[in-house]
Amino acid sequence: MEELIEKLKKEVIEQLNLEDIKPEDINPDSPLFGEGLGLDSIDALELIVLLEKNYGIKIEDPKDGKKIFFSIRSMAEYITANKK
Amino acid sequence: MNFIDGIGMISPQQTLVPGRFPDDVVEYTADFLKCIEPVYKTYIDPIPLRRMSRLIRMGISSARICLADAGIAMPDAIITGTGLGSVEDTEKILSDISKEEKFLNPTPFIQSTYNTISSQIAIHLKCHNYNTTYVHRTFSFESGLIDGMLQLGEGSSTRVLVGGIDEMTLNHLNITRRIGLWKRQPVNNLQLLNSRTPGALAGEGAAFFLISADRSDHSYARLRDVSTLIDIRGSYRRDQAIRNFLLQNQLQPEDIDLLIVGISGDAVFDPVYHQFASDFFPNAPLAWYKHLCGEYHTSTGFALYTAAQILKSQECPEILLLNHKAPSRLKNILIYNQFRNINHSFLLVSFPD
Repeated sequence: MEELIEKLKKEVIEQLNLEDIKPEDINPDSPLFGEGLGLDSIDALELIVLLEKNYGIKIEDPKDGKKIFFSIRSMAEYITANKK
Repeated sequence: MNFIDGIGMISPQQTLVPGRFPDDVVEYTADFLKCIEPVYKTYIDPIPLRRMSRLIRMGISSARICLADAGIAMPDAIITGTGLGSVEDTEKILSDISKEEKFLNPTPFIQSTYNTISSQIAIHLKCHNYNTTYVHRTFSFESGLIDGMLQLGEGSSTRVLVGGIDEMTLNHLNITRRIGLWKRQPVNNLQLLNSRTPGALAGEGAAFFLISADRSDHSYARLRDVSTLIDIRGSYRRDQAIRNFLLQNQLQPEDIDLLIVGISGDAVFDPVYHQFASDFFPNAPLAWYKHLCGEYHTSTGFALYTAAQILKSQECPEILLLNHKAPSRLKNILIYNQFRNINHSFLLVSFPD
């Protein structure tokens, strides 16, 4: 899990072009949206593409997004549970 | 009347730093002239900045520099001209489509639309006023100026922000080089006329102007008239057009104190300018600008920047002069640009008295 979390941090930084943020700056349990990294709705779309492209996971129900993308850890847990 | 009250210019020259251009001209030997970019965080918040591609960053920054120069916070209209829009974003989305269409990132798709620059400027300024974008290839900036002048003329606006912006990418350069638009080898921009080969030296730039209905203490110039013409049958209609243009503005050829032309180092199309100058303005001092910014669809933005600086300083730098004939006075400047001898445009600017 910890390995996946570190990988995810790097992928999120690259995908969202978080120029001044390093992986160690991201608390895996902090919220990604609103506070924390302060991401927005376009970032949410970018993260959906990231999950599908890098892990083959398609989010079928948009309502699940809020829970899945709450934090880096929740993303990692979802990937672990659903990776094909 | 229309007055240029503020300018923001990002170009391959030191145009961001007041007083450094044209005394400190940058020399390149390159395939194309790339803009000297500012520290964007000075002008754009870091959170939206991370998502923006280079052209959008240049557009917003030059618009903000222009507004600061004019000393105003909110224009009555935002009008942008771009020949190609955000090429970088367009290339990215097309490249992603060609790989696997289902994994498309939304950001380059959203930003590849031409009106992104105008709308992003409006979002940053929280400006809900008139906002539009012209994508008329080599007439894009001119169309924006004409719209701005019409807005001022009908009284719906008193201060309009008008810009011309285009970027070059290596991919686009290589594709359009195949149809003969550009030099085949890197050239030195200050030795451009010595190349004597077909194709221009490519460039890019972002120019914004605050055009005001009223003259102010810091007005650079009076923007008197702009005209565009498509002439696919040689120069007959263009010749008629310049006669009418002068007539409409109650000027004789000898009233033009400086003719700025879009000579680009292209051995095929540069003779069009020489013929034009010798036919209509044989005694006028002749200047050029594309050795400093390169050729791009909205390059007349750089020409207008140059003309405005000349009128304000009442000096024409040697680096711009083609026939080493220094102007004896600097009241009226005519800019003439053409693309492939088809798209022709005239811009007339005068001392703001």
